[in-house]
Amino acid sequence: MASEHTVEAQLPGVFYRRPSPEADEYVKEGDKVSAGDTLGLIELMKSYHEVKADASGKVKKFLIENEGEVQPGEGIAVLLSE
Amino acid sequence: MGGEAMFEVIKAGLETAVQDYPGRIGYWNQGFPPSGPMDSWSFRLANVLVGNEPGEAALECQFVGPELRFHRDTVVAVTGGDMQPRLDGEPIELWTSVAVKKGQTLTLSYARTGARGYIAIAGGIRTEPWLGSRSTFHKAGVGGFEGGALKEGQQVPLGDAQGTPGLRVKDAARPTIVTDKRWLVEVTAGPNDDWLDEAGRKLFLETDWKLSPKSDRTGYRLDGPGDRITFADKAINKRPEHGSIPSNIIDQGYPNGAVNLAGETPIILVKDGPSMGGFINPYTVPTVGFWKLGQARPGEVLRLTEISVDEAQKQAVEMTRICSGESLESA
Repeated sequence: MASEHTVEAQLPGVFYRRPSPEADEYVKEGDKVSAGDTLGLIELMKSYHEVKADASGKVKKFLIENEGEVQPGEGIAVLLSE
Repeated sequence: MGGEAMFEVIKAGLETAVQDYPGRIGYWNQGFPPSGPMDSWSFRLANVLVGNEPGEAALECQFVGPELRFHRDTVVAVTGGDMQPRLDGEPIELWTSVAVKKGQTLTLSYARTGARGYIAIAGGIRTEPWLGSRSTFHKAGVGGFEGGALKEGQQVPLGDAQGTPGLRVKDAARPTIVTDKRWLVEVTAGPNDDWLDEAGRKLFLETDWKLSPKSDRTGYRLDGPGDRITFADKAINKRPEHGSIPSNIIDQGYPNGAVNLAGETPIILVKDGPSMGGFINPYTVPTVGFWKLGQARPGEVLRLTEISVDEAQKQAVEMTRICSGESLESA
C-alpha cells in the first residue's frame, strides 16, 4: 500500500531546487528517489546546505517553490512509497 | 594525564564552535574581532548552571547541533534556542544542569525555536587559548579547537570540576526567544546618525527589516527599503576623500554591533565583524539588543528601536546581574 512521507526542512533559509542557476533540477515531481538523495539546497549563513531525502519513494510534489523561504520543521517535499 | 577528560565529536553540527565571553578583547586595532557567543545571555547562564565562571569556554551550536560522547562523568547544561537535546536518546530539559556519565552521548537536533544553542560543561573546555581567548574566529582560522569549528572525530579537552546537577534557571531570568518571527532590537544612535536626515532616520526605525540568509557571524544583512534612505547635507556635499556615494565616509573604526550602511544595504556587524571601513554606521546594537541577533533566523523581521546610551548601559549591567547564581533554583 502506498504511503506518504514528508521530508522536512531542518534549517531556515531560502530553498533551491537546482545546484546552480543554469543546472537542471536535482529531482522533478514524479522522479523516484532513494534515502540520502539530494532534493535541493537551503541557503543559510552565506553557504548552501543539501536537503536529503530521509526515505525512498516517488516525489509526489514539492511543498516549497524554488527560491521560496523555509523554516525548520516545514515540509519540503512529499514522497510516495510503495 | 588528562587522557579521559574530554569529549569526542560524533557529529559536528553546523559550525559548532568553542567560544568564551567576552571573547578576544584588546586586538581590535589589529583587526581581530572579539568573536565569542552571539547570544551572551544564554551562553553565560549555561556556564553558571554547571558552576563555571559565566565567561568560561563552552560550545555555540548554530541551527543544527552536534552529537558528543563524554569520556568522563560530568555535568552539562544546554540553553538558548530549543535544539531538542537528548542524553542517550532521552530528552533532557533546557536551562537545567544535568549529570552525564562516562560513555553517554549528548545529541542536539535542529533549532525548533531560535537559532543558537549553548552547551556548557563543568570545568569548561580547555582548548589552547590564542591571544588571550579560546573563542573561535572562523574566517582567520584561529582560536577554538585546532583553529576552527568542531569536526567529526575530534577529542576536545575539558577542565576538571564537579558541577551540581538538578539546578535550573528561573523562568524570569531566561531570555524570551520569540516565536512570532518579529524581534524588537534595541539600538543606540550613532556614531553617524547625523549623516541621515530626519526622514532617513525615521525610515530606519520604522521599517520591518527582514534578516537575509546571506548573514553569518561577520554580518547580518537586512533586506528592505535601503534604497529609500535619505541623507543629511553633509553626506551629499562632502570632501572627495569621503568617497562618492552618500553612505561613504573616510575610513573609520567600526563598533561591534554597528548597523553599517553599505551603499543601500544595512548590515549589522556582529561578533566576527570588521574593525574598520568606509561606510557610515547610523546606529549601533548594544549588549541588551545584541543577544537577539544570535537567536533571530533568516526570514524573520528585525525592528530597530532607539534607546539612550544610559539606558543601554543600565540594561547591560542588569543582564550581567541576571547571568549569575542568583538566577538559579532547584529543579
